[in-house]
Amino acid sequence: MQGYFWFAAKRAAQLFAVVFCGISATFMVTHLSPISPVESALGRMTARSNFAPEAVESMRAALTEMYGVNEPLINQYFNFWARLVHGDLGPSLIAFPTPAMELVMRALPWTVCLLLTSILITFVVGNVMGALAGYNQNNRFLKAFGVVAMGIQPIPYYIVAFILLVVFGFIWPVLPISGGFAMNVTPGWNLAYIGSVLQHAILPASSLVLVGFGSWFLGMRALVSNIVTEDYVTYAELAGVKRRTIVGSYVIRNAAVPQLTALAMTLGGVFSGTVITEQVFNYPGLGSLLVDAVNGGDFSLVLAVSTVSVAAVATAIFIVDLLHPLLDPRVRTD
Amino acid sequence: MDRRSFMVGTAVGALMLGAKGLAFAQDAEGSAPPLNDFVRNETVIVHNPEGVIRNPGWFNIWVNGGGGTSNGLHQLTMDTLWYIDPDGGVPGKSENAIYNALAAEPWQYNDDFTEMTVKLRQGILWSDGVEFTADDVVYTVTKQMETPGMQWSGAFSTQVAEVTAPDPYTVHFTLQAPNSRFHAIFSVRWNAAWIMPKHVFEKVDDVLTFDYNPPLSLGAYTLNSFDPNGTWYIWDKREDWDKTTLGLVGQPTPKHIIYRNNISTDNRLIEMRNGNLDMIHDLSPEGTFSIVKEDPNVHGWFTGFPYAHPDPTLPMAIFNHQKPMFQDKRVRWALALMLDARAMSMASYRGAATLSAISIPPTGTHPRDYHGPLQQFMIDYEIDTGTSKVKPYDPTIGQQIADMVRPQFGDDVPTDPEAINKSFGFGWWKQNLQAAEELLTAAGFTKNGNQWMTDTGEPFAFSVQIPQEGVINRLGTIIAQLWSQAGVQASAEVAPDIWDRVGAGDYEVNIGWAVETWGGHPDLSFFLDSYHSEYVVEPGQIQPARNWMRWTNPKLDEIIEKIRGVDFNDPKGLEYGIEFVKLHLEEMPNIPIMSYNVFSVQSNKYWTGWPNIENNYANPVTNWSNGKYIFTQIKPTSA
Repeated sequence: MQGYFWFAAKRAAQLFAVVFCGISATFMVTHLSPISPVESALGRMTARSNFAPEAVESMRAALTEMYGVNEPLINQYFNFWARLVHGDLGPSLIAFPTPAMELVMRALPWTVCLLLTSILITFVVGNVMGALAGYNQNNRFLKAFGVVAMGIQPIPYYIVAFILLVVFGFIWPVLPISGGFAMNVTPGWNLAYIGSVLQHAILPASSLVLVGFGSWFLGMRALVSNIVTEDYVTYAELAGVKRRTIVGSYVIRNAAVPQLTALAMTLGGVFSGTVITEQVFNYPGLGSLLVDAVNGGDFSLVLAVSTVSVAAVATAIFIVDLLHPLLDPRVRTD
Repeated sequence: MDRRSFMVGTAVGALMLGAKGLAFAQDAEGSAPPLNDFVRNETVIVHNPEGVIRNPGWFNIWVNGGGGTSNGLHQLTMDTLWYIDPDGGVPGKSENAIYNALAAEPWQYNDDFTEMTVKLRQGILWSDGVEFTADDVVYTVTKQMETPGMQWSGAFSTQVAEVTAPDPYTVHFTLQAPNSRFHAIFSVRWNAAWIMPKHVFEKVDDVLTFDYNPPLSLGAYTLNSFDPNGTWYIWDKREDWDKTTLGLVGQPTPKHIIYRNNISTDNRLIEMRNGNLDMIHDLSPEGTFSIVKEDPNVHGWFTGFPYAHPDPTLPMAIFNHQKPMFQDKRVRWALALMLDARAMSMASYRGAATLSAISIPPTGTHPRDYHGPLQQFMIDYEIDTGTSKVKPYDPTIGQQIADMVRPQFGDDVPTDPEAINKSFGFGWWKQNLQAAEELLTAAGFTKNGNQWMTDTGEPFAFSVQIPQEGVINRLGTIIAQLWSQAGVQASAEVAPDIWDRVGAGDYEVNIGWAVETWGGHPDLSFFLDSYHSEYVVEPGQIQPARNWMRWTNPKLDEIIEKIRGVDFNDPKGLEYGIEFVKLHLEEMPNIPIMSYNVFSVQSNKYWTGWPNIENNYANPVTNWSNGKYIFTQIKPTSA
């Protein structure tokens, strides 16, 4: 057990190092971006309007001071870490003076719920069907399923999403195509709201599931195809162990370890959002927030999204590392 | 607890946390009455082109706080002294497209334009019943002057010396320097300096952090509710709508107006076909062609081709005059004559472009004031290439484009010459590669095979900066291609930060616009005043809008100073405007191409009476705040 704790401590140190480096790199990249938050704000404020050049110059000076971008980069870097250790990522510059983290926390639950649900569905469906297809290689239904999976997977995501949009929004308009919930419901713990959220999530989630399950299916089928030839499976079959037990406890469990690692990586990526899904279905989320932040030169907001994303991916890997020895006793922690 | 239970429990817990976050991410402001309350013959649904509004509960329009602007906030709740319509204005309610809104009459300057006096309307109420008075105007100006960072703080602090209210319905401004266009700050084109409610803001400690939620309204509508995710806003008609300046134009007919934003182009088409949108801000040209063909209820500004509304904005090829290769006007003219207007129109707008050879957008009342009267001058206009004299203008270009699109769009394409002028423009330069060659040769350029070399012996090569997408991207690509075909190494360069770079002078040729006008009024000061050489900066410094070319010319300064010396409505302003157009032709500092046509469509399914080219009382493009007048003119199709 002592070995396990030492193993966990080393992984924790790695976690902090990765988070520190990731956030620092993001800080540098965002602050060296040619897009100026002051000029972006001025663009929004003066577009189509009638401002004299002297007025614009006066506004530029005021915004530069308000946004704190007149300080040397190194000072901004240390100020950033000083704030971050207190959990403050500073004000968003495209929604000044609202804290950047407040904008992230508004969008985050939508992205997490949509992606978490769709990834788990694709993971379970893809892996179970892939395992069965790998074990029962002559089953016609599973063969057909494999053809469908391979047929859909290469289609660009946008096309799949657009087909769903046209079919269920226009030809047979039974599902909402825009937004996270209907205008006539009150957000909160009530059936109307939950039902509306679920109804609005059907099309975006379906589009993600349709293009997502193929890779899990194909990966699992390949893994299982190898495992079924292992001696311990043949031995179990000869020993008369039930097929369900062989598939569940011997085949899938052994094949699941690399798939779970991939799942952890995928779940970490949830925090970057899905820009295309959000744009096609006008769905709220982190992806379009990040795009807006980059285009607006809002490095505070980019850093907030990136910090959440870096921390989430690193934590996901950390958790998988910790779970690995528990799932697979062959992994040594000494 | 065994391992399986632990893992299942962890997964369920995570899901519960996520769901809880989803509920907490919202708040009560998202709640709205049942949709049944918004029956369609009482409700107009408008597309707002803003993306997701990141700070949806921010209504303090005087601070750039991430809230929405064209979500109904500036159209329905804000007001100021005057409105100048980019089109004709409601007949009988505006004069020369100018509405007296909170001002009871036009601006009054003293002789040397150092003072402006405004008489205000009486009996106008804020939505809480407090009367609007001169104190609100004075507060709006002084508060922003003393608070850097507010939207109009720079405009006021650099121009106003003193503002006073001699009585509750009179405001008097003393200016820091003569300015015959000071009233423009309070004159809405797209927006203007909106008036603040003194009785609300004077109680606020820090206006820069005040969200102003819910907003008080000086317009005819008040906030009903909004989406906490920032994608819709619902506004209700005030019972005392007749105590607003909109009520003086007419009773707004919709009881509710819903603004919906962040709708992708494909979704807009579907939502309008499904009856969930009455006004769309913009579509792609192809999307417009599709919906007007499929849905007889839907129409654009023109009843037939090209459908789109020409904005008072003029896309052009902008040369950086601080680059030596563009400092000779013969070179700039040569580049203009290498272009083919038909190719540019087809590539960018699929033929639905309204061309302009002069530096005035062909929209609003400008064709009446500029394009029409100057037509013969253009036809007779002659340039000396150094080898020959040519008349470069082709008044039949519009007709040629109409003939090109007629096989596809049939009777939707006008045949009447006057209608063609309005729809496709009055004409453009005829592609003349021979004249271009003569001009470049006269400028000292030489040809090496098919490649032009500059007078210093270098290849004549430059980048053409274009935005990431849209019609301007398409336009820039074809322009670069046409120049390449004529022997110039022009390469299209997609620049995501195109406006930052054009301001910084970090470009050679940029496809954008340096001209925006009032549209409904011939005065050109809206863009032209900033062309004065006193504002042109050194290379490397940021150039104030809109003289992106950094063009300087003593004659130009003279014209600007003459315009500054006459009143906004003085007929001499038009004369000076024409002088500018002629100087621009002489110098060709940029190549004007076409108006920015916005494929804005409306549906007659539930509402009729929308503005169009025949009844041009307002701009139908939904994010312009003067679009509010539309709501006094439309009628429901069913009682």
